[in-house]
Amino acid sequence: MTLAFPSLRMAFRVWRRDLRVFSSLWKGALLPTFLDPVLYLLAMGFGLGAYIASINGIPYKDFIASGLVASAAMWATAFETTYNVHFRMTEYRLYDNVLSTPVEVEDLVLGEMAWACTRAVIYGTVFLIIVALFGLIHSPWAVVTPVFIVIGAACFAAIGLSFTTIVGKVDYFTYYYTLFVTPMFLFSGIFYPLDRLPQWTHVVAWFTPLYHLVLITRGLILGPHLLSVLGNTLWLVVVTAGLFSVPVIWMRKRLVP
Amino acid sequence: MNAVEGRRLYKTYGELVAVDHIDFDVRERECFGFLGPNGAGKTTTMKMIYGLAGVDEGELRVLGLDARKERRKVKSRLGVVPQEANLDWDLTVRENLVQQALYYGAQADGRIDELLALAQLGQRSASKPRELSGGMQRRLLIARALINQPELIVLDEPTTGLDPQARLAVWDLLDGLKDGGVTLILTTHYMEEAERICDRLAIMDQGKIVAYGSPGELRDRYGQPNLEGVFIEITGRGLRE
Repeated sequence: MTLAFPSLRMAFRVWRRDLRVFSSLWKGALLPTFLDPVLYLLAMGFGLGAYIASINGIPYKDFIASGLVASAAMWATAFETTYNVHFRMTEYRLYDNVLSTPVEVEDLVLGEMAWACTRAVIYGTVFLIIVALFGLIHSPWAVVTPVFIVIGAACFAAIGLSFTTIVGKVDYFTYYYTLFVTPMFLFSGIFYPLDRLPQWTHVVAWFTPLYHLVLITRGLILGPHLLSVLGNTLWLVVVTAGLFSVPVIWMRKRLVP
Repeated sequence: MNAVEGRRLYKTYGELVAVDHIDFDVRERECFGFLGPNGAGKTTTMKMIYGLAGVDEGELRVLGLDARKERRKVKSRLGVVPQEANLDWDLTVRENLVQQALYYGAQADGRIDELLALAQLGQRSASKPRELSGGMQRRLLIARALINQPELIVLDEPTTGLDPQARLAVWDLLDGLKDGGVTLILTTHYMEEAERICDRLAIMDQGKIVAYGSPGELRDRYGQPNLEGVFIEITGRGLRE
């Protein structure tokens, strides 16, 4: 089996289809997704924040707001690359049609990744604006956050697509959330720093993408801590590049046997 | 030049031999049929032609190109009507065609209305595919397959599940395409369909081509009044057993 570089032009065509669908759906069905991180910010930031004044000198609501920007991107990407991709691939057989046009599997994977990143950047940026309206942004570097959301989302997308193409059965998707997404959400330093937890938790966290994206968004919004931003970005880029061929190989196994 | 040439084509799915060393030629501008029961290897053969199944062994040339190595080029010149209605259910009828044109990078202005008219879907362009009848969905699939002005159209069971009237409408569409100089390859397990629209055909059974020729030649060769008789004569059982 040979691995080819994807064609950007073909990937764009796949991305364009998802945008077409999103444009007609976002006002209705997809609106609640925008509210999720806001609810966390209100409940934890302003609720719990009334009891916890600050963390490492940062007001609590400011601390978690900067982390929730990262998780907003993660959640958007997770749903897109598991349930949505599964339905297109297996239930609607949409990819069978796409792959009988000049689009090849690697183009399709890149296009879907790009779309997942687009959704992440939409949800992440909308939340970032809300955070700004609450006056929780400390650094002008926050304006470049969307660029890093794309990088982090690409990593989440590569993992999500790998899971979806390998597992193949929608019944098992809850494992992805229970064993991966939710633990990352709770233990990646969004709600409290990992400083006082045992050393092994740091090691585990280091292997998860959300941990690195949280350090980036927090570094930009509260910082700037540019060296940390660069180091964590490197982690995300390397992991994404390393994983890209996984969904390509598995999708080809499933759709072009 | 032949539109498609298959030589010693072989394909397995794990233990199952789906296509077992078949040879066939599809001539330009003809309508060629693969006739056989379910599981005979018809769909796999079609998928190898349109790039959705790899070729394990043998040689396959489509429109003069090596189907293994130049898949993207081959696919850009084909139209595909799959067995399952794999339409884009989230898009409207018109958007399905607009998006399909984009996949091919084809200029579609004006052509979309032409295709909608051809498929008799002009009034339904704003509907979602789910709101269409089975016959309409099939016509939309055919219109979609024409968006890139293909030289060769591959149709997998184009009339399965359709009522007689909808089937006639599809046959008329296919007749029109053939008159327009397009090569057609289709699979079917309806004898009358094969007799009605195929110039030549290959009868398949258990992954092999067991008979090959025009409907008239096959009837004469086996001394049978119709293709059903030919199939029974060769395999000792009916086509739908």
